[in-house]
Amino acid sequence: MAQQKVEIDIEDAGGYQILRPSGDLDVYTVGSLRDALATLIEDKTPKVVVDLDGVPFMDSSGLGALMGGVRRMREAGGDLAIACTREQHLKLFTITGFGEGVSIAPTVDEAAKGFRD
Amino acid sequence: MVRLSLRQKIVGGFGLLIFLMLLLGWVTLLLFGSVRSVQGRVFDSAVPGVIAVDEIVRSYTAQSAAIRGFVINPNQRSLLAEYRTEVQASEAATERARELFTSDRERELLQDIEAEGESFQTLVDDRVVMLAESGERGLAFGALGSEGAAAIDQIQALGRGLRRIQAITLDRTESDLVARSNQAVITLLIVLIGVISTGVFLTLLIPRRLAQDLSRLVEAARAIGRGDFHQRIEIKSGDEVEELASRFEEMQAGLRRLQQLALQDRELQIAGSIQRNLLQRTMPESPGARLVPLQRQANLVGGDWYDIDVDGRTLTAVVGDASGKGIGAALMATVTLSALRAERSVGSGPRRVIARANEALLEATEPDSFTTLLYASIDLVSGEVHWLNMGHPSPFLIRSNLSGKGAGYFLEGPRNRALGWFEDPGLAETVIKLEPGDRLALYTDGFLEAKSPDGEIFGESRLAEAIISLAPLDSETIGQELVREVEGFAAGKLEDDLTMLIIEFEGSPATEVAQEKLTGEEPWHSRR
Repeated sequence: MAQQKVEIDIEDAGGYQILRPSGDLDVYTVGSLRDALATLIEDKTPKVVVDLDGVPFMDSSGLGALMGGVRRMREAGGDLAIACTREQHLKLFTITGFGEGVSIAPTVDEAAKGFRD
Repeated sequence: MVRLSLRQKIVGGFGLLIFLMLLLGWVTLLLFGSVRSVQGRVFDSAVPGVIAVDEIVRSYTAQSAAIRGFVINPNQRSLLAEYRTEVQASEAATERARELFTSDRERELLQDIEAEGESFQTLVDDRVVMLAESGERGLAFGALGSEGAAAIDQIQALGRGLRRIQAITLDRTESDLVARSNQAVITLLIVLIGVISTGVFLTLLIPRRLAQDLSRLVEAARAIGRGDFHQRIEIKSGDEVEELASRFEEMQAGLRRLQQLALQDRELQIAGSIQRNLLQRTMPESPGARLVPLQRQANLVGGDWYDIDVDGRTLTAVVGDASGKGIGAALMATVTLSALRAERSVGSGPRRVIARANEALLEATEPDSFTTLLYASIDLVSGEVHWLNMGHPSPFLIRSNLSGKGAGYFLEGPRNRALGWFEDPGLAETVIKLEPGDRLALYTDGFLEAKSPDGEIFGESRLAEAIISLAPLDSETIGQELVREVEGFAAGKLEDDLTMLIIEFEGSPATEVAQEKLTGEEPWHSRR
């Protein structure tokens, strides 16, 4: 239980990167997401869409890492958007109010349209 | 690189040593054999050959002398007998020489000697003896002098030829002996050098290498004693020692993991202690309301907390949840609580208190962390509740005068955003009025996000149903039963704290009872 892993695929969509975690995003796995985001910022490609379709469960640590990513990407002159259709995650964004702080859309393309310039 | 075990190296080394020593023995034996064969050639063939040749020549010369004596004095029959004895001697010597001489040249010469001998003896037997006995001594001398002397001379010359051959054989044997012994000495030297180097390798190199490798291992073991689990052990001996070193490195890795786990464990202890210090406080006296807190810490210690304060007729109840787990979450809870209490102590209203807490969190924490909370102020006389929901799950109201599905519902209202991320999280307030006997449950998302082994979450519907079915019971029992149900759902593996604060509004008899529905009330089952 304590050593669960989340696989993270990164795809170059031309103009932005798509980051696809597969597995739970919680306190055990969130380090991988943070590392992946940090690498993208270092590579000066600070426009990222995180696709949450492969994430069945996300807790406050996962949400925190995403929102931390949003803040850091924006500071680096880019943005982070989220593609998500899972009711459970959408509810979490609504309850915490983070849905108002980040572009969320059902598909990656639509989410990418919401990047802040 | 050829990988050999220590056993293979030692056994192989000694095997090589034994092989080389056997080789040494074999070469020595060969040398002796060679000397012996040369000796054999000299003593068994060359020397007896010379003796036989000399005997042949001597016996023919003796035959010639004896027969001459007989011719001079034919009455002396003993000389004739002596001649016959020498004939036998020459035949015996010739027989021996035939056995000793193997080369064609030697045999040819021997045959020539035999032929000359035969012609001499034929001369003597057929003519000389007859002439001497019949008194023709002059004719007998003549025959002996011409044909006999020539044959004997020829035999002596042939004998010299044979002796020369024997001398050549002896010379050859000598040089052969020298060459062979030189060769044997060189071979002996090579094998000896091999034996010595193998011996040196076995006695010096293997133990030295072994000692070096083992001292590396000892050093790494000492480092472990000092608490350093990172010492590198580089052993590439390809044997059991290398194997031991790699097992040792695995042990180091295991110890590093254990150390990490121990640190995590320590961190969890610290986080748990911080959290308990935040929560373990006596409930303040609150005339008109009863407070029932409930806290069940998860293995990882979440960032749940609550805070209660009574000031005059106002009861302030706050339930909060810092994101993440462990010390980080516990410290964030401390920051929030300190800001809330400090601002409240100077008499600020809820909005100002929350705005201040948001500023403190923005300054003090990373953008990865945030805090949600529900801040409720309850008028202990009128039952009016003002609350701000900062990104937190909606509170649940259990009505005293209703039953069935409508006996309880989530209180919705304008939502604000979580603290610690937004510059302006929003500060919208919601108001409802409690009736005496109503119970307001403030709780954290641990109840909603509890996960079953198949990945399903407990969720709002299950929570509402559970609370409603427990509504007839007292608040303490509701809390205990809820925890039991959620734990059962998660099969005992709770990843987040469960925190709930149930506020029972008792009300004062003087309180005006209002039945109108206030902002934010909505039966839970009608929610989307």
